Amino acid sequence: MKNKDYLYLDHAASTPMRKAAITEYVTAESFGFANSSGGHKLSRDSKNLLEDSREKIASLLDVAPGEIIFTSGGTEADNWTIKSLFNSTKLDENLVTSNIEHEAVLASAEWVSSLGHKVNYAKSNNEGLVEEDEFLDHVNEKTIVASLMWGNNETGVIQPISQISKALKSANESTLFHSDVVQGIISENINFHNSGIESAAISAHKIGGPKGVGAMFINNKYKLPSFLHGGKQELERRAGTVDVPGIASFAAALEEQQNKFDDEVGMMKEEREIFEDKLKNSLEVVIVGDSIDRLPHISNIQFADINSEVLLIELDLNGLGVSRGSACASGAQKPSHVLEAMNVDEKFINNHLRFSFGWSNQKGDGSKAADIVIKAVQGMK
Amino acid sequence: MRILVAMSGGVDSSVVAALLKEQGHEVIGVTMKLWEGPEGEMPETGCCTASDSEDARKVASKLDIPYYVLDYTESFSKNVVDNFIDMYAQGLTPNPCVECNRSVKFDHFLNQAKKLNCEKVATGHYAKIIKNENFYELHKADYLDKDQSYVLHMLKSDDLENILFPLGEITKPEVRQIAARLGLKTAFKKDSQDICFVGKKDYRSFVEKRIDLTSPGEIFDVDGNKVGNHNGIHEFTVGQRKGLPGGQATPRYVTKINVQNKNVIIGEQKDLLVESFIIEDVSIVKDIEYDNLTVQTRYNSEDLNCKINKISDNELLVELIEPASSIAPGQFGVLFSGTKVIGGGRISSKLMESAS
Repeated sequence: MKNKDYLYLDHAASTPMRKAAITEYVTAESFGFANSSGGHKLSRDSKNLLEDSREKIASLLDVAPGEIIFTSGGTEADNWTIKSLFNSTKLDENLVTSNIEHEAVLASAEWVSSLGHKVNYAKSNNEGLVEEDEFLDHVNEKTIVASLMWGNNETGVIQPISQISKALKSANESTLFHSDVVQGIISENINFHNSGIESAAISAHKIGGPKGVGAMFINNKYKLPSFLHGGKQELERRAGTVDVPGIASFAAALEEQQNKFDDEVGMMKEEREIFEDKLKNSLEVVIVGDSIDRLPHISNIQFADINSEVLLIELDLNGLGVSRGSACASGAQKPSHVLEAMNVDEKFINNHLRFSFGWSNQKGDGSKAADIVIKAVQGMK
Repeated sequence: MRILVAMSGGVDSSVVAALLKEQGHEVIGVTMKLWEGPEGEMPETGCCTASDSEDARKVASKLDIPYYVLDYTESFSKNVVDNFIDMYAQGLTPNPCVECNRSVKFDHFLNQAKKLNCEKVATGHYAKIIKNENFYELHKADYLDKDQSYVLHMLKSDDLENILFPLGEITKPEVRQIAARLGLKTAFKKDSQDICFVGKKDYRSFVEKRIDLTSPGEIFDVDGNKVGNHNGIHEFTVGQRKGLPGGQATPRYVTKINVQNKNVIIGEQKDLLVESFIIEDVSIVKDIEYDNLTVQTRYNSEDLNCKINKISDNELLVELIEPASSIAPGQFGVLFSGTKVIGGGRISSKLMESAS
């Protein structure tokens, strides 16, 4: 099967680059290839392009340019905020997060814990939601960072960020509130300042930008210690030659995504609805978070009596790409820690698949995907 | 037809995938992830290592076939590794490869193939499947040096109907030639000999790390004289020569391990000779046969002439025509009639009629 005939419903994992982003990358590479820290004309061109891109992204996200620091992606931003405020001298300081976070947050939390700090994990309920009271119960006067994702990458369930950030500040004014918005930004209008987010992880490739580029939003009132040490790039906070063409391309992708937001997200929502309705009518399925707020691009489905490891292969062989939990290094796909955190019954935990729509889908994809899934499941009975 | 090929990353299964693809079949490659470290990583040594699955992926890509890694770790850990440790703890000599084929590999694999609408599964084992009227027989490979029918004896006629062993009629050097002709990366890769989950380490240190087996006992000679002490019966297997109290004129071997009282009995080579033994957990390919039988008591060992008597559906008494040594409880006794596999079972420690 040619790649163009392959139906891709794994946008939560990555998305193809937008034409505008590719064009911008090519232009920026010829115009601004030089090291943006140098003292000559070509470096100035590169530096100008970098700062223009920062301003563009800041303006699209309604934040100050100085609040955007470019990183290698969401994982780095999560690592940075979570790890860099903890050190081995003040061991009474703690971290609060949830048990459904992305691995970038969970593994960083484990690192904090390995220093000797307490890490308190708020638990998800059975629907995949971390409730306000549950989260706040774990916060105390020694909580210096609290981290909760905007929308979960496996279930799409949207967390009550605004309520929690507000309550958090009443409980402890000095706690830094971080949110991984890598998935959220794909299909939700997020205003960091209005929702009380003080630090956020953003990834370019989830919205049609290049892989290996991302940003950390960090509220002006904080100055995090450097995470990568070396040169004085990125307002002296992140060493390493800056990937200016990648960043310019990221800015172009974000611009197009924001301009087309209503149309694109409207399409994802519609296609997902068609997809889920068709499955519900023909198969025995449970849709995770069906009755609560979910990111419009994610659909996590439990299939009765169907092993999703095999279903994933059957769908792939029939030209539909989806995913199942997180992939380990060998390529074997493991059941998800998120479903375990939601107390999904052990006998169903291997029956889930995640379908995720994105900007490159088009009208009709939801129905086409549903037909492939229905045929595959019926063939496996 | 659509065929699911088990690809370990070695040259044999690489060639199987290539041959079937050349014949025009729709081939799907799968690596079974059997074993992992505490962080979910693939093992570094033995078979099924991270670099093996990487080799399998590269071969699949070269052949332009879809390729997947399937997770069998839970079942493997329970059915093979736990069982391996258990058996050592009981003073038996386990055969994890047979256990794996019996309870992990073919069972799951055939089941998954059916769900994926594959007509057949294929592996790189050296053995032959011959259709006889409406039934399927399992035979030794033509290339006897590599014959693996011993470790496949538990496959029944109904299973064999859905299996292909494309290497049954070719030699290992031919397999390497085919791989080289096709430019497969694995053409000159060394065969793995290790137990996959133990790797290059000594299996005893593997077992000791997992459970505490220190249960001291005594060592006796065949006449009942005490000749020494030991730290645990897991340190011994029947036929073992190393690590025994020395000082005798002729070499001494472990002839018996008594699980109940932790006693280890040692004797001379002649004391290892056995006339008959019981196999339990017996599985028969199609129908039991009684004439012109031979038995193998270890992987690819000598064929010993024998007769059998049925004790129950699960147990057979195997009587050797000529007494033989190196018959270790825990290994399997596999019965052949000529090249045809009749069936087999685990050698029991219940009754070992010694020849002396």
